[in-house]
Amino acid sequence: MTDDTGRKTEVTRRHLLQTAMWTSAAVATGAGSWVIPARWASAADPIKVGIATDLTGPIGFAGNANANIAKLVVDDINDNGGILGRPLEIHIEDTASNESVAVGNVRKLIQRDRVDVVLGGITSSMRNAIKDVIVGRGRTLYIYPQLYEGRECTPYIFCTGPTPAQQCDELIPWLIQNGGKRFALPSANYVWPHVLNEYARKVIENSGGEVVLEEYYPLDQVEYSATVNKIMNENVDVVFNTVIPPGVGPFIKQLYEAGFQKRGGRLSCVYYDENTVSLNAAHEWEGLASCLDYFRVLTREGDDPFSAKLAAAYDERYSGSVLFTAGSAATGMYRGLKLWEAAVNEAGNVDRDDVAAALDHAKISEGPGGPAEMVPGKWHCRMNMYIAVAKAGQYEVISRSPMVDPKEC
Amino acid sequence: MESVLTIGFNILSFSSIIVLVVLGLGVIASMMRIFNFAHGEFMLLGGYTAYLFYIWNMPIWLGILVAPFVVAFVGLILERTIIHRFYAAPIVAMLGTYAIGVMIRESVRGLIGGLYHQVPEPLVGFFVIGDISVSKWRAVVILVTILVVSGSYYLLKKTSFGLRIRAALENPELARVSGISTSQIYAATFSFGAGLAGLAGAMMVPLFTLYADMGVRFLIQGFLAVMLGGIGSFEGPVLGGAIIGVLTAGLPHLVNPVLADVLVFVIAIIAVKLKPAGLLSMRRE
Repeated sequence: MTDDTGRKTEVTRRHLLQTAMWTSAAVATGAGSWVIPARWASAADPIKVGIATDLTGPIGFAGNANANIAKLVVDDINDNGGILGRPLEIHIEDTASNESVAVGNVRKLIQRDRVDVVLGGITSSMRNAIKDVIVGRGRTLYIYPQLYEGRECTPYIFCTGPTPAQQCDELIPWLIQNGGKRFALPSANYVWPHVLNEYARKVIENSGGEVVLEEYYPLDQVEYSATVNKIMNENVDVVFNTVIPPGVGPFIKQLYEAGFQKRGGRLSCVYYDENTVSLNAAHEWEGLASCLDYFRVLTREGDDPFSAKLAAAYDERYSGSVLFTAGSAATGMYRGLKLWEAAVNEAGNVDRDDVAAALDHAKISEGPGGPAEMVPGKWHCRMNMYIAVAKAGQYEVISRSPMVDPKEC
Repeated sequence: MESVLTIGFNILSFSSIIVLVVLGLGVIASMMRIFNFAHGEFMLLGGYTAYLFYIWNMPIWLGILVAPFVVAFVGLILERTIIHRFYAAPIVAMLGTYAIGVMIRESVRGLIGGLYHQVPEPLVGFFVIGDISVSKWRAVVILVTILVVSGSYYLLKKTSFGLRIRAALENPELARVSGISTSQIYAATFSFGAGLAGLAGAMMVPLFTLYADMGVRFLIQGFLAVMLGGIGSFEGPVLGGAIIGVLTAGLPHLVNPVLADVLVFVIAIIAVKLKPAGLLSMRRE
């Protein structure tokens, strides 16, 4: 078979067989379930890794990135001999951006597939819906990969994404220096913005700033002229935004049109990553500051060779629109899998208590954005954090903070 | 003072968008007695057409001009193949159009990778009049809405084509006896309504964000507007749309935005309760 350039493309028999295997596995396990065994087998049973993520629905772009990176990491581990000499078998279930569907599908992972660990969930409402199925009745280990509002201090649940302290402690003083003291907190009306704002307000006030506006909007609101009007009238210096798509694009546009940036105002949004750059024209979000554990630009500067290698491997296997980013929990998924691998190696078996005890102080020396280590007794992990600012539609990293403490639990 | 003018302009521009959305919905509901649940997705298709022109590096204004014709054509095909079977059963029509809407929405979701995309305005930026800054594209939206509403009014009320449409809907048998092809008229009307949705979607997508669910919220507000204004007339839905638009954009200035969102519905439901046939109803029973 040839493509338009006349080059022979790689549709080989092996490719076809792989596709057939995938399809038959999907048919055998029901819609939204996938089993990918290792390419080799051993006398020992495989270790089963459950991935429950939003492959479909409004945040499908994030869920697919999670599934992609999980497959990449697990294949890599298998290519290097598996864990404890046993191959890993990955079981993927779709949580479909719908909590009631998710609970049923996650139950399949626990009861039918009897997985040894579950990683996944992106929104906090999803984590809350599936956590009891996994760690409560399911008696299984659960690793939650997304940046979130904190306060998840349940034994056997380990969080590998950034917490409010990691995202705010460095960023907010920077915003006061590079923007001003008067803050507005426009927010979508759900749990993450509410709890994050509570923390952000404390940091703002302790750093000498003040919050002059804190407002919550319906999740699907797209018209923000009233908010923009208040921000302009109150002489706000910094907009610390937690409005989410679809509202955030029109909000930033209206803010720009009202002349907020021209007046010297500073925009900030802590979930902004490479997936959100297409939301606005470059001039509309110029100067926006974000704070995350990884930015793609780190791979280009040549100062983080491991991140560069990982990004290259990801792009080679999944070239397309599903990006490997921090805001979509994909970096947390990588970290979670590798920390868990280290823990199983230390524990010497997959017993939940033994692995949890080892995971409690697990460390990895490299990962997207740098190393990571669990804080003993806290179920959260230290990681490098980066402040990046938008310049002409691209991020530019302007500050790096090594191994920031999550300050949770 | 500047602030009042800015607020007034923003409310006016948002109302224009809702009126544009409601127009196509109202034409189909009033003229054909069908609630088109795929209307939001016709808007989405209009917005998607504009987006395609953007990513293909073609002029966006051209995309916005072409969008209503593309969507009208899709509407025509759907009417000829599927919708025309539903005229006898309006409830089934709702479910049928809903299913069509879901198919369009999920297809577009796949095509845009489930992500959110911006489409730049053909006229970027804002002009400053005195102390207020006015978004150029919002000003264009207001103008286009005025033109399209008056154009549609003229078409339906003053031309012989409009007369034939109204005849076919008032009394199909008599119209057919008089030599009017009602099936052609229905197809043309549905296609016209779809085209209006396409125009609304293409006009609004530069102000908002292109995403698969963009039609859903506007569809609900559109239905509210049609109920509020009353089915059966041309003016009713337009007036309903204007009122819903003013309430949606205006109330957040006065009360907490989450409360405002609910209040719009409460006010509309109370109004419908007081005037069940709508503010401007034309009873034809």
